[in-house]
Amino acid sequence: MGRRDRFLLGLQYVLGQIAVIVTAPLYFLFVRLMGYRIRDLKQVRNEVRRMYREQEGPWIICPNHLTMIDSIVLSYGMASLADHIFRFRRVPWNLPERKNFQRSLLIAFLCYLSKCLPVDRGGSREGLQRLLEKCLRVLGWGQGLMIFPEGGRSRTGRVKRENYSYGVGRFIEECGRCRVMLIYLRGDGQQTYGLMPRFGERFTMVTEIFDPGRTDGSGLRVQREYARRIMDRLAAMEDACLAPRG
Amino acid sequence: MSEEQITNKFIDILRGYVKDPALLEKATQKTHILKDLKVNSARLVDIIIKCEDVFGTTIDDEEADRIATIGDAVTLIQQKAA
Repeated sequence: MGRRDRFLLGLQYVLGQIAVIVTAPLYFLFVRLMGYRIRDLKQVRNEVRRMYREQEGPWIICPNHLTMIDSIVLSYGMASLADHIFRFRRVPWNLPERKNFQRSLLIAFLCYLSKCLPVDRGGSREGLQRLLEKCLRVLGWGQGLMIFPEGGRSRTGRVKRENYSYGVGRFIEECGRCRVMLIYLRGDGQQTYGLMPRFGERFTMVTEIFDPGRTDGSGLRVQREYARRIMDRLAAMEDACLAPRG
Repeated sequence: MSEEQITNKFIDILRGYVKDPALLEKATQKTHILKDLKVNSARLVDIIIKCEDVFGTTIDDEEADRIATIGDAVTLIQQKAA
């Protein structure tokens, strides 16, 4: 990773840390205004806090993906406003698709300040390589990286059992000391994917630490296998979450 | 194995992963696997793993990252087989 990229990444982090006093309350206000609630929120946050106490980082955080604002709801569910402000390093980095959030200058700026590293799907090898290096750098700082392992919002509304991305496997393989946190988030009224959850949505959020284990084989096979194990476990979390609903 | 043989075998492999087989009929060495054939990056990994099995070779991450077109894949497999 070049000196320029290292400097720019560090600058993004510092500016984000300064701005968090404004950005975090904005996101929290948005969640409250939309009437979003998470069941047993205190318990969920305590569980995440316990995980961070066990290991400060680096974390690869893998949630399921249904709407464009999942990261905001997840971040709200993972930590209190005070934790966002005073433990900014625990706020995970995100990898949104560039074309989804760079339509508006304001949203692009907010994303920049909120630890987002834009992804160009199908982009150049150099671009992807630079992004990978940035991600490994933030993991090297002991921080968290939120990756939606499905690679996009699930069109069926259920965790993808096929046609998912293997990118998460690459991070697990390249970051030997990372721990993996799985999160399953679903609103009571979420039947399928969408832009945003409905107004007043009530979510169930389940977290767990996942050990992807070890696997033999070449790099790409290992990455695919790690991704498969994560998707299998996320699908099992979904089954457990949906079972009481019948 | 000649370049033509490798190309034909590679296109056979692609058939299993391309949603619209008609796209393969016009395929050349310059055809971009992701953009022109509408294959996503995860399926490209599947294709590369399949190539490892079919051509009896191993392709690491950096080499895989360099594969963008059919020609890139064929050249890499040819180099590996040499």
